[in-house]
Order: sequence, then C-alpha cells, then structure tokens
Amino acid sequence: MKAKGTSTYLAAGFFLALWSFTSVVSASPGHGDQQRESMGQPGQPEQVDRSIDIEMHDNYYGVENLDIQAGETIRFQVTNKGKLVHEFSVGTPDMHEGHQEMMQMMVEHGAIKGGQINQQAMQMDMGDGRSMQHDDPNSLLLEAGETGELIWTFNEPVKNLEFACNLPGHYQAGMMGNFHFQQ
Amino acid sequence: MRTLKKIAVFTGSLLFPAILLAGEYELSVDPVVIDTGDFTKIGVGYNGSSPGPTLRMKEGEIATIRVTNNLDVDTSIHWHGLIVPADQDGVPGISFDGIKPGETFTYTFPVRQSGTYWYHSHSGFQEPDGAYGSLVIEAEDREPFRYDREYVVQLADKHPDAGAQIMHNLKNSAEYYNRTEQTLGDFFSDIGENGFLATVKDRWDWGNMRMMKTDIEDVQGFTGLINGRGPDQNWTALFEPGERVRLRLINSSASTYFDFRIPGMKMTVVAADGNNIQPVVVDELRLAVAETYDVIVQPREDKAYTLFAESMGRTGYARGTLAPREGMTAAVPEMREPPLLTMADMGHGGMDHSNMSDTEMSGSDMDHSSMGHGSMDQSAMDAADPFYAPGSGLLPQAASGGKFLSYADLRAQQPRYDYREPEREIVLRLTGNMERYIWSINGVKFEDAEPLRLQYGERVRIRFINETMMAHPMHLHGMWSLLNVGAQGDNPVKHVISVNPNTEVAFDVEVDEPGEWAFHCHIFNHASAGMFLKVVVEGGEA
Amino acid sequence: MKPWHKIGSVVLTGWLLSSPVQAMSGGHFWGVSFEELEYRTGDEDLLAWNGDLYYGSDELTFRWQPSGEYVLEESQYASLQNNLVVQKPVSGFFDVKAGVRLDTPEGEDRNYVLFGVTGLAPQWIEMDANFYWSDNSKASADLDLEYEILLTNYWVLSAAMDVKVGFHEDLEIGQAKGLNATELGFRLSRDLLGRTLSPYVGVVNERLYGDRKDWAEAAGSEPSEWFAVIGARLMF
Repeated sequence: MKAKGTSTYLAAGFFLALWSFTSVVSASPGHGDQQRESMGQPGQPEQVDRSIDIEMHDNYYGVENLDIQAGETIRFQVTNKGKLVHEFSVGTPDMHEGHQEMMQMMVEHGAIKGGQINQQAMQMDMGDGRSMQHDDPNSLLLEAGETGELIWTFNEPVKNLEFACNLPGHYQAGMMGNFHFQQ
Repeated sequence: MRTLKKIAVFTGSLLFPAILLAGEYELSVDPVVIDTGDFTKIGVGYNGSSPGPTLRMKEGEIATIRVTNNLDVDTSIHWHGLIVPADQDGVPGISFDGIKPGETFTYTFPVRQSGTYWYHSHSGFQEPDGAYGSLVIEAEDREPFRYDREYVVQLADKHPDAGAQIMHNLKNSAEYYNRTEQTLGDFFSDIGENGFLATVKDRWDWGNMRMMKTDIEDVQGFTGLINGRGPDQNWTALFEPGERVRLRLINSSASTYFDFRIPGMKMTVVAADGNNIQPVVVDELRLAVAETYDVIVQPREDKAYTLFAESMGRTGYARGTLAPREGMTAAVPEMREPPLLTMADMGHGGMDHSNMSDTEMSGSDMDHSSMGHGSMDQSAMDAADPFYAPGSGLLPQAASGGKFLSYADLRAQQPRYDYREPEREIVLRLTGNMERYIWSINGVKFEDAEPLRLQYGERVRIRFINETMMAHPMHLHGMWSLLNVGAQGDNPVKHVISVNPNTEVAFDVEVDEPGEWAFHCHIFNHASAGMFLKVVVEGGEA
Repeated sequence: MKPWHKIGSVVLTGWLLSSPVQAMSGGHFWGVSFEELEYRTGDEDLLAWNGDLYYGSDELTFRWQPSGEYVLEESQYASLQNNLVVQKPVSGFFDVKAGVRLDTPEGEDRNYVLFGVTGLAPQWIEMDANFYWSDNSKASADLDLEYEILLTNYWVLSAAMDVKVGFHEDLEIGQAKGLNATELGFRLSRDLLGRTLSPYVGVVNERLYGDRKDWAEAAGSEPSEWFAVIGARLMF
C-alpha cells in the first residue's frame, strides 16, 4: 500500500526533526513563547523517568487522559495503528490551533495524503522562506503503521496541556487527550 | 462477499439465537395533526406524530419492525440509506405490494452498517404529508470521533398544501408556487445597475429560452422545520460549555435544499450519508434533499447558538437553538438575498467545462492537490467548486465568508470497497420540461422507461448529465453510491448524489445486491412526475 | 406576504389528502381555469367568461373550453361558445388541438370543426390560434395573445388581445370577410388563496372592422366600445 521510497523520506525527515530539537523556538511565530517554555522542552534519553505507549487510531488516541508530574521526563512511544497519517503533538489549545493551519496547508498541497507523507512536497518553498517541513520538536508526525518516539520534559503545571493530532479536522473530531498534572 | 456475510449472519441467527442481537420496533402509520407554528394541517405520521420517533438500531443486530397501517389507503416504509434485502426495501410495485389499510407488515433485515439515516413512506403523497422519521444506528466498533452528547436535527419543508394538491397545482402551472419571480421593479433596478441595453438583452435572452432565473425551488411557501418544530417553536438542544456535541443532520424535505450553519461556531463534518468521512472543518454546508451529514461542534461559551438552515433559494428557513439552558435564544439571522440562475446553469454556456468534476479530478494526485492552491489563478480556484457549473448562480458561499463544504472535500474515512475500475459506464441524462412540469431520465418518464439492468458482481460507473436548470438529488436504493471525487478508493460512500444544473457527476456502484430497486430524484414531485427508474440486478441469488 | 397564502392553504388543506393518485405512477391530471370571469360595464352591461377545463395525461388532454358574453339588460347571450377538443404536445412549448366548437347564442347556432395551436411563444407570450370550418362551410379563425407584467409577485398586470377573422362571409351570424373584431384588455389582478383566485379590475376595448363595422353602424351600434371590468381569474 505504501510507496517504497516514502519511508526513506520519512526517516530523513524524522532525523531532521530530531536535529532541530535544539532550535526549539519557533517555526510558527505568534503564540506565546512564554507558554511554550513553561510547558516544557524536549528531553534527553538519559533523563527519561518513564515510558508511555500511545496508540493512534483513525481518528483517536488509545488513551485520552494521562497523569504526569511536574519536572518529569517521559518517553512517548507512539504507534500509528490507523490507515491515515496522524500526529502526536504536545501543546495548549492555542498552540494546536496555530499548528492546524500548517497541517491544513500540507494536506492541501499533497504533502500529506491518506496514510502517506510526501517529504518532497513538504520541503517545497512556500514563498516566504518557509517550507512545510514538519520539524516542531513538540510533535511527531507518523505515516500509517509507523512508530516514533518523543521525549519530553514537563516543567511546572500548565493548565489545558493537551496532546493532539492537528491533521485537518482530527483535533475537532476528538483526536486529542489531556495531561493532568499530579501534586 | 457481502452476501456471504449476510448468509453468515443468518446462519448465526439459527445456531446462536441467544447471542445474536435482536432489535424489535413497532411503528403505526397514523393520521396526525401537524402544527408548525405558522399553520396547522392534517397529515400522516408515525406512532401519532410527525416526524415519527427516532429508531435506534445497533449494527450487527437483526431488526424486526412491525408496521401497522391505520390509514384508509395503502402505505409503505422505505429505510433510506439502509442496505437491506430487496423485499425489505419498502417500495410498492418494486419491493413488495405495499401495506394495506389495517394490515401489520413485519420488516426483518440484518443491520450491516452504522450512522445517521431516516425512513419515510414510499406510497402516494405520504412523505410530503409528514410520513418520515429518523433512524440512528449505533456502531459496533468505536467511531473515529468523540462526542459527549448527540442530537438528531431533522430538517423538513412543511407546506400548508397537501402533497397531492401541490403536484396538482404544479401540473396546472409549473410556477404556481414561485413567488420569487423577477418583477417590473427588478427590471428597473437592474437598469440602474447594469444599464438599459444590458438589462433588456438579459431579459430578452431569458425570454427567448422561456426559462426563469428563479427556478430554484419549485415549491415555495413552506415552513422550515427542525424535528417537527417551526422557527417560532424553536426546537432547543442543551449542552454544557466545552462539550462536544454531535448533530445528526438529516434533510427530510420533499423538495428543499437547506444551507445549514451555526453562526459563531465551526462545525466538523465527520459523516456524510451515514458513512464516516475524513473530518472537514466548515462554517456552513448544503444538504441536498434526503442527504444526511453528521457534524461535531464544541460550543465553549456559556451562551446560546442558533441552528439556522436557509433554503437554497432563500424562500424559507428552519431554526433551532443550541443552548446551555432551556429558554435561552440567540439572534436569528436574516435570510440572504435569493440567488438567481445564470446562463452557466442553462446548458447553453460552458458545458465543455462542466465535466471538470470528473476529468480533472480523476487525474494524478498532484492534479487534485494543485486545484486548491497551486499555480492556477488562486482567487478563481478558491471560488470554484467543481460540482457546480463555472459561473453558476447556485454556487454557495458561507455567510461567515469562511469554508463552505463541497463534495470535493469528501473522503471516505474507511472505504467500504477496495477500489477497482468500473467495467462499464452508463450515461443518464437528467431531463425535463419545466413548463409542463415533466421530469425524466434520458428524456423518458418512469412509466415509459425500460428498467436499468445491472449484472450482479460488476462494478459500473453511472454518469449523470444534468440537462435541466434544477439540481437533482439522485437516490439509488439498495446499493451504495461511490461518488467520484477523483480519490478512487477514498471516494465517499453515499446514498444521494446531488447533481447541479449543467454539470456532470459520476459515481460507481459495486453491484452486490440482487433484486429490483428504485432509483430516482428525491425531490418528491420530480420523482412523481417521472424522474424515476427501476433498476434490475440480474444474477446473484435473490 | 404570507397571511393570504396561509389562510388559503389552511382552508384548502386536506382537500386532496386522500387522493387515490399514486406518486410514481404516471397518472392523469385535471384542471379548471378561467382566464376571464367578469362583469363588464360600458354602454351596456355584460357578463363575460373564458374558461378551460381539462382531464388527461402529459401526452393527451381532453378539454372543454366555454366562453361567452351575456347581455344583462336584454337577458341574451351575445355569444355562447363551447369548444370540445383533444390536445397534444408537439414541442417543448406548443400543443396542437382538434375538436368541435358549438355556438348557441341568441339567434343562429353554428357548429364547427376546429384545429388549433396553443402554447408559450418566446418572450413569455401565451398564444392560442384556431381555425374553424362551420357546418355551412364558412371558414374563420381567431388568435389570442396574452402577456403578463409582474408588478410584484402577487400583483399582475396582464395585456390580452383577441383577433377574429372571417375567410367567408356568414351574414346570419354577422361574420364578415376579413378582419372582423378585436378585443383588447388590460387587467390588474392580485393573487389570493395561492393562485386559486385572483380578483382583478381592468378595461376592455371591443372594436369592429370592415363590413362588420359598417353593419353595426347601420344598426345603430357603436363600432368601438370601452368597458370597465371587474372579475376574477380562477385556477384549481
């Protein structure tokens, strides 16, 4: 079902995404950098306190509520069990909303289609020096059947911190879950 | 393969009767009084009311529905959008003989799908007279979306005249109910706007065709209903702020397309005609007659929202409220200006472009994706919906200026069939004579038409060419209509295909149900006037 | 705008509810309409009517078309005409018809066979043309044209013209050879009860020509008369 070349592209894109972990802030300007910092940052493998498996289905997460501690570093092992591309993105509702515009663009330009990601289209120049490269450190974008990993260190408790899929309509249809900070 | 499944279900029911779900339902067909707030009339309903009760079935069960006819004429119930054996489909003269006065008829069929559907009489003029209700099937598996509560929002165009009287009047004068015709005043204001010569030429051109720009809704004068309640009766649904609410929108109108919106709120469309689609966030959507759409909304504020459904021709509206508490209301918008058909809708201009919906879209992936934003003239492409003739007067625009759902946005969430190329194509021209109020397919009315013969096991493509100036919501009974949006295996799975004036629309059918089926325009009076075909599936074990 | 319609509809609701007509069955239709049903007042006072009652299908209709003028002072039918025709579509907008015309006014009776064309011409002009052959072998014809101007969607101004021509002279019934008479009418109507009832007021000019005019003048009648009219259009 999947085109053969795609996974290579995906891998490349994925490493690119890993690489850009350090340059956290921010491909899409406009929504609270402060909020971004307080919600945490990419963690290092040696800091990981625990791992959580996340299954992504069409179009929902296997778990929809996660309890976490402030300061905890979690390895999210995310598997896309659906037939469509899905995302696992950590953020506030506002951040997700901003991200959705970009995802919309990706779909409209054919960078994401059904269960596949077209990395070539992703790197297409959008005219203002931006590409649609999905390199946000707080999110994973996975093709159908793909597995990925996101290590995240949570800072102080943030209200409304969610994990979400920002593919067009997925968040609105309910493909999101809530982080609950434990005392 | 589907047949095998069916046999398996039936065999299962013999071997494990206790395990298998059985759903039992009772419906009586009754004379009822319908009160829209604007007028009161005698009509036909179910279990004493119109609309009838919401039937809630479960996917995987065997549904048994006992229908008792308390009328003094024959009746029938068709399960709109349900895939049932041919003898359970409820069309008198095709599926069965109908239900006699006083008789109780028992329908039995396995429920092999989930989602939002409806049911209605297929006898006489009972459907426009009120014989309709909603049908909700709970999914066996988890659905690809979440919601905290759900409501059926069943739209209808209740007319004070009885259905038979409407047909009678239309036959005597096709413009009997048209009260949006262009007047002398419009003539003068057009002169002011476009100049004398241009206006005279415009009127001359239309006068030569003897066509009216206002032939958009041929039955005006209705009151729009939501779940049986008129705008002043304000059907109200409750929510807690922040909840996701699933609205099961059903257009059970006899003749009216509705443009539905909730001012101040985006809607996420998650299903079309009962089948899940990849979600699309919209500001507004058009429901052709007999279509259903499921939308999810998430009202976050502690305030009321208006559910507003304007008819496509802006001659009437349905209105309800989504509110945190009973008794709250929100502003009810004014209806927008009635649209006017253009020459593009007439078949005289632009026919060569109108097949774009297919030829352009069945191309490569990039072809399609470039239609949205690519190198083409952006503003022109943004405005265009390939399912309307370029320059069509019916092209909808969201009141908010935002996104209006198009057929081109629909992608199946989970295709029911693997894609395969159709083995043959059948062209059906949608034809008619507005002046005489005759509607037909390929120029032939139902009573004169040979049945359309399909072979069990084949996949056919049916291509509609709408040669009339009205939109026609075409409904094939018994088998799914795989609307061709150029997405092959992801083409949406529907039961009504709306074909706009002067356009071509194609859909594929996996011919997997033996027997005889109805295939017709779901505008009630168009079907009655002849836009109706019998489909015979040859082969397969009936 | 709505009240009239609604009132009418409530009154009429249900009158066809239990109609035996089945949808999707082809079916037969019927209709009654009177384009003119009016009181005319001028030098003399008249009742005048022009109706069309039909039963049939899309392919063929049977029609009874009564028309006439009744002079009130003299209690006489100045004209009394009943056409019985079969009518068949021949194009998108036109029908042909054939049948008989039975005239039984005050004075001589005449029976005719008739052939006609009726339909909607471009620019929304309704036309009806008939050729008649009488039982005493005299030929004649008439042509009716009507055009409606919508002042609003309920107020309609209609202009109608009828022209009568004789191909032979038939003195007994006052038919001259050539152009005999015209009737020009302007009527302002308002639809009530849907389009069932549309009361109107208007003016009508009846005018005679040629020999017909000379005969009338010799008999002391005016060759051109204006009437004020009040009446109603019916359709149900």
